Amino acid sequence: MGDLSVSQVAVRKKLLAMFFFIIAFTLSLVGRLAWIQIVRADELYDQAWDQWNRSIPTRSPRGSIYDRHGRLLAGSNTVETVVALPPRIEDPRLTAELLAPLLEMSADELYRLVTMHRHSIYLKRKVEPEVSQAVRNLELPGIVFTTEGKRYYPNGTLASQILGFVGMDQAWAGVEVYYEDYLKGREGRILFPSDARGRQIPHEVRRYVLPKDGMNLYLTVDETIQYIVERELARAMLEFQPRQAMVIVADPRTGAILAAAAKPDFDPLRYGDFDEKYWPLAPATQSFEPGSTFKMTTLAASIEEGLYNENEYFFCTGYASVAGHNIGCWTAGRGHGSISYLLAVESSCNPAFINLGQRLGKEKLFQYINAFGYGQKTGLDYPGESAGLVFNLSQVGPLELATSSFGQGVSVTPLQQVMAVSAMANGGYLMKPYLVREIRDSDGSVVYERKPEVVRQVISRETSQKITWIMENVVLKGSGINAGIEGYRIAGKTGTAQKVGPGGTYIGGEYIVSFIGFVPIGDPQVIIYVAVDGATRGAQWGSQIAAPISRRIMVDVLNYLQIAPSERPPLPEARLVEVPELFELTVNEAAALLDTQGLLLRLVGEGQYIVNQTPKAGAKVPQQTQIVVYLGDSKALPGGAIGLPDLRGFTAREVGDVLNWLGLHLAAEGSGVAVGQEPAAGTPVQRGDLIKVYFSSPLELER
Amino acid sequence: MKKQQRRDPDYALLLVTLLLLGIGLVMVFSASYIIAEESRGDPCYFLRRQATWVGLGLAGMFFLSHVPYWKLRRWSLFLILLNFVLLTLVFTGLGEDLGTEARRWLGFGSFTVQPSELSKLAFIIFTAAFMSSRSIRIQKFWSSSFIPLFLAGIAFVFIVAQPDLGTALVLLAGTVVIILLAGMPFKQAVALFALSLPPLVAVTIKEEYRMRRLLSFLDPWADPGGAGYQIIQSLYALGPGHLFGVGLGRSRQKLYYLPEPQNDFIFAVIGEELGFVGAVAVLLLFFVLIWRGLKIAMMAPDTFGSLLAAGITGMIAIQALLNIAVVTGSVPVTGINLPLISAGGSSVFFTLLGIGILLNISRHSVK
Repeated sequence: MGDLSVSQVAVRKKLLAMFFFIIAFTLSLVGRLAWIQIVRADELYDQAWDQWNRSIPTRSPRGSIYDRHGRLLAGSNTVETVVALPPRIEDPRLTAELLAPLLEMSADELYRLVTMHRHSIYLKRKVEPEVSQAVRNLELPGIVFTTEGKRYYPNGTLASQILGFVGMDQAWAGVEVYYEDYLKGREGRILFPSDARGRQIPHEVRRYVLPKDGMNLYLTVDETIQYIVERELARAMLEFQPRQAMVIVADPRTGAILAAAAKPDFDPLRYGDFDEKYWPLAPATQSFEPGSTFKMTTLAASIEEGLYNENEYFFCTGYASVAGHNIGCWTAGRGHGSISYLLAVESSCNPAFINLGQRLGKEKLFQYINAFGYGQKTGLDYPGESAGLVFNLSQVGPLELATSSFGQGVSVTPLQQVMAVSAMANGGYLMKPYLVREIRDSDGSVVYERKPEVVRQVISRETSQKITWIMENVVLKGSGINAGIEGYRIAGKTGTAQKVGPGGTYIGGEYIVSFIGFVPIGDPQVIIYVAVDGATRGAQWGSQIAAPISRRIMVDVLNYLQIAPSERPPLPEARLVEVPELFELTVNEAAALLDTQGLLLRLVGEGQYIVNQTPKAGAKVPQQTQIVVYLGDSKALPGGAIGLPDLRGFTAREVGDVLNWLGLHLAAEGSGVAVGQEPAAGTPVQRGDLIKVYFSSPLELER
Repeated sequence: MKKQQRRDPDYALLLVTLLLLGIGLVMVFSASYIIAEESRGDPCYFLRRQATWVGLGLAGMFFLSHVPYWKLRRWSLFLILLNFVLLTLVFTGLGEDLGTEARRWLGFGSFTVQPSELSKLAFIIFTAAFMSSRSIRIQKFWSSSFIPLFLAGIAFVFIVAQPDLGTALVLLAGTVVIILLAGMPFKQAVALFALSLPPLVAVTIKEEYRMRRLLSFLDPWADPGGAGYQIIQSLYALGPGHLFGVGLGRSRQKLYYLPEPQNDFIFAVIGEELGFVGAVAVLLLFFVLIWRGLKIAMMAPDTFGSLLAAGITGMIAIQALLNIAVVTGSVPVTGINLPLISAGGSSVFFTLLGIGILLNISRHSVK
């Protein structure tokens, strides 16, 4: 076939070449298969396994929080979360538009979510049951639900600052954060291989990772005492219109916190609606200058070191000269004159305490200040505790030594003071405070039990007893008289501290008034601390504001704890005193006059002078009665149109008297203390107008 | 020149073909029964269709193995004309898109045919016939090689427009293989290649998705949810298959992870269920098929027979090897199915017709 057309021989040669090419190609494919299926097999298998495996998280409920007697403070219930499975959604645009109004989200945002390259995605977490039911009714393909836990609080805002709150996935504040690892439990999972549409492949093995339920906390807090405390704080907020008020109630023998709160506080279900400065437990996280309550530290050190002799005499000129500065006594100019150290201490004389501080010297004084726990965190099981601030020994000169002796120039937390005074009450032992006494797992077995912890012994039992005796006298006949409770032996100390502004200088006219006390003497079971910051009604003295609050709380707490009155009551029964004439006096003059009698001053209206009072002068009233006075500038009751005063916080009788003076008529509604009025405070009113006033329990109003 | 002695056909080729068909039917069922059940309510939907076409194909193969292959010469021009008529009809009302956006099928009642599959066979027969005709002077490009290349070029454009780039490329490659075997001068081949490259590149990069698919095989994990998705899913089938496979019927990747598990990516399911051993066995069966085919081409009694056998074999070889190369992530994804195995009626039918022709040629082998 030698023609010029295509030669078959040539074709055969090329066919052979083609054959070799195919051999080579085939061999390289075999190599490629070996590389994929043998060399990289395990790696690819792992990756593929991740792709096949779907896991459904099974969330176990968060542990609950109970009070010391097992009463529920924070529980968990189950709510639903709306989940989209994008591969199974048939009409993303329609799905987004149908869901948008129900979930209160924009259709565009939902469309973006349901078209994501994900097997599942949360659309909206923890929705209300009505919402999930409405979504369920739509029967949209690819829209499913998963259950999650959501906190609920049977007592509303009660103890909110202790508890803290829980966000979507974790706790953000309070013991909820501190004990997160116990409360949270462990998320369980169901793992199974699935097809690309997220469905389980039949006949393949499912694997379970069992969830672990959250553990339950049992607090040292007593729900009833906490309620009493918050009720009285709420009332004090109305009565004194302060910036802030706070209380701690603790067991001085163990350091267990029975109640702690500050107002204003917040609602843990709507924490975002509240200023975050009200989230933490202020008595543990805020520090400020303590004022006179801190003098007990100087006193304890002096007694322990044998530098205090109660019969020794001291002359108070009204001020002390230290390093060229004149430091005044609170008696402001007059001075105590020549008094025994005992009386000087009982009457909280600043020069006397400066003198004691000078005798101790800076090393000894600051040794005790540190030993009582000031300047360090107490170790409370709560996040964000403040350590306060005391001078470094190297910074202490004569002036710093002097001011520290009576509670100026140091910054301490209420909790530190409670623990320091607890040591003075319990025989000298500084305890470590705590909020959680027990943790149990979901079966109820105890996994953790807190024992009281002694940090150190600071003073001897004898010193402790001596201080207790001095503090009892303060309540019997000194500045603590308004904290006294008939039939009980109570030790206490008031404090009034000027507030330090941001620049380190004192803010004029703003004080933090406080009272610290414990009961009963001999076997102290309860210690209480009360502080009111920036009160705007009444004389800003601890004796006039903090002591009566303490009394009201302690009366109910003693009753609740069934602490029996002392067998030998220190006070004669119902001591009656005569109400002095207060007309034309200034607020401070009136307060000084009433304070010595054990009477309380309460103000209505605005102005320099007192123009009327109830009860009237000359009336015989029991001690601790409050005298309501009306303030004005003209030394006479105003006539014609006047601004209606703020009546909130007063009792119905007091409101009736005040309105009577002003020629106004009262229409009362409800009972308790005044919580609201119509018209509002400041509205001009005429004689004869009808004023509507609502009375209620102050805590009810908060709910 | 007519060799009238009729000997036995190449039984090895027949056996390999039947084996591949059998594996194909089993694997089509395995890969598709769940999807078929869910989308059509009948787990055997794809199996039934495939079996029908295999039956028709085997009948056609048997028939053609008894038709003297040289008679096809007379049919070649008619086949080319028929091919163009059908390719045009695809774009008329007769064309069906079968749920995809492509227009590749012609419907006759419940019956659909992919004309491009006929085109491939038609061009092989025509090109082999044309290039082996006595009047051809291979050095004269314009009166020889140019004519089938020009026609194939037109068909290429039609098929790309469907769009079915894979089939179009196979058709063109098959035509070129025959022309090269026929002895196209080297210089012409180089010049032709140089000239055809720019339009090929242009066609490829015109559609953005083709470009992305083209390059994604180099690093599929660069875009795992997009262009790299198919290759990654294919590797996730092959890797876990390991040496001996996860077991027949137990592929996980066929459950909506793999695109068209019963079709273009059926080799991945084979690799997953039957392992490296099964995958290599299938690859070797194809190698044997190609070897027998090339042997038949060598032994063919005339140039037409040689070119025809080589063209058919070359076409099957290109498709099989390219498909496996795609599935193993070795070349860009082109959309070529695995001959004799992938579900796809027209493909298996016309492939079997081609093998029928091969069998006939083998009966006329010289020595």
